Amino acid sequence: MADRTWPVALDPVVQAFENCFDAMERYELLFEYAGNTEMMLPPDHWNEGNIIHGCQSRAHVECSVDELGLFRMRGGADAQIVQGLMEITRIAVDGSPCEDVVTLNPDFVDAMGFRSALTPSRSNGFMNMLERVRNEARRLSEGYE
Amino acid sequence: MYNIRELRAEFPILSRVLPNGKPLVYFDNAATSQKPNAVIDAMSRYYKTYNSNAHRGAHTLADEATTALEAARESIASFFGASPSNLIYTSGTTEAINLVAYAWARRNLSEGDAVVLTEMEHHADIVPWQELSKEIGIELRFVPLDLGDMCLDMGAYRHALPGAALVCVVHTSNVLGIRNPIEEIITLAKESGARILIDAAQGAAHERINFKELGADFVTLSAHKMAGPTGIGGLLATNEALSQCGPFLTGGQMIKSVSTDGSIFRDGAALLETGTPRIAEAIGWGAAIDWLSEIDFNQMHDHIKSLAIMAFEGMSQIDGITVYSDPTRPESSGTISFLHERIDSDDLAMLLDEGGFALRTGQHCAQPLMDALGVASTNRISLWLYNTEEEVKSFLSHLRMICERFGQ
Repeated sequence: MADRTWPVALDPVVQAFENCFDAMERYELLFEYAGNTEMMLPPDHWNEGNIIHGCQSRAHVECSVDELGLFRMRGGADAQIVQGLMEITRIAVDGSPCEDVVTLNPDFVDAMGFRSALTPSRSNGFMNMLERVRNEARRLSEGYE
Repeated sequence: MYNIRELRAEFPILSRVLPNGKPLVYFDNAATSQKPNAVIDAMSRYYKTYNSNAHRGAHTLADEATTALEAARESIASFFGASPSNLIYTSGTTEAINLVAYAWARRNLSEGDAVVLTEMEHHADIVPWQELSKEIGIELRFVPLDLGDMCLDMGAYRHALPGAALVCVVHTSNVLGIRNPIEEIITLAKESGARILIDAAQGAAHERINFKELGADFVTLSAHKMAGPTGIGGLLATNEALSQCGPFLTGGQMIKSVSTDGSIFRDGAALLETGTPRIAEAIGWGAAIDWLSEIDFNQMHDHIKSLAIMAFEGMSQIDGITVYSDPTRPESSGTISFLHERIDSDDLAMLLDEGGFALRTGQHCAQPLMDALGVASTNRISLWLYNTEEEVKSFLSHLRMICERFGQ
């Protein structure tokens, strides 16, 4: 596994993607993560306040802190690739201190084999989603203090 | 004989291998076409050997640049059966339509005048008229699509015509690839006394359009969709229409004289070109036109059509795919929109990109058409003269594999 710059919770996820045979197998695995609807933000919670701009398809993220002051997020998107990346981001940050979320490095996406998702011009808007999550973590951190 | 191998060899980008090791298959020609060496070399030669401003300066380079700029205008105008004095260089089709809205319509239409548009129009042929409607109160009448055959509802068009001052219709849909019955549309518009604008951004890359024979008042063109560079296009306008235009932008080339008391403008097409011309782009477009002049458009049309039918029939057999075009229609171009019922269009485009296939996804700047079709977006392949049967077969194979693996 490459030098880790991501939370330890992502180690098995990154490992699973690194073990994929080819790009299509990686996408199949990503679609499986997208299928974890239990932690998905349901469509009836999608609104203008939690929309992520810059995604060609609809994507929403809802962030909060729990009673312990730990970061919580749920994401929902039309596109499975975005939904899968959201779910993996959720695994990375859910239950973490907000300060850790603010500095979350997107290298894990590259390590998983989705470098193209990190290109700002790509329509899937992963970087917009990540930026939104980090900004929300910063805002919630300040609010909690 | 249509020699596809020789033709492709003139487009260096078509031999590109993508970062994932897959050879490029370029199916996004309705967004922009690739450029042959003739265009790349002509623009490079200008910058390397005679880059200079045109229409001003007495030196050799200025003379060469001016000569090349005007030679390009002659080539382009001639290709479209028009006089050079009827071609105004613009930044593209969008600017050309805006130019008509600002320079002609603002002076010749008034509150209550009707402009007929269609649901098939690109946003560039809707928004300028909506803005004008807000400003001076013109009425906009939209001709709907007949969802049975994906063509314009000509009965509704006839109904919309009485009293209309202007008709604006797209020659060929950038979403459906449907070529509208332009000749009939123009005849009916003229019979009713309306001026008519044809948006030929897509159509000009697929058939030889003759401005004089067509009989429209305005035809708008895009260079980059027909082997030319980005950043330039044109407006073809009749002498009569030009005589009714006021200035669009002011300054630069359109000036005859300026004093502190006021300014005097030039006439005709010269009135509508301001600032430093797009010299390299015009030279590149001229080179593209010269290159296209050697292509037999009937053979090209047959080639594209056979590929489009192959793609259409193949896609129609894949479980879950809905096709929103019908390239079997005699005058259709090579553009096919489609969706998978369970795979999001963005996902499908990413998965196709992984196979090296470049295609467009989204609303295609045609939201009213998306609304009429009842979809939020579509995937779209658009084929052109250099695409091959092997590429279409490879695309169908990859699409089938994606649908089997991700669409269950």
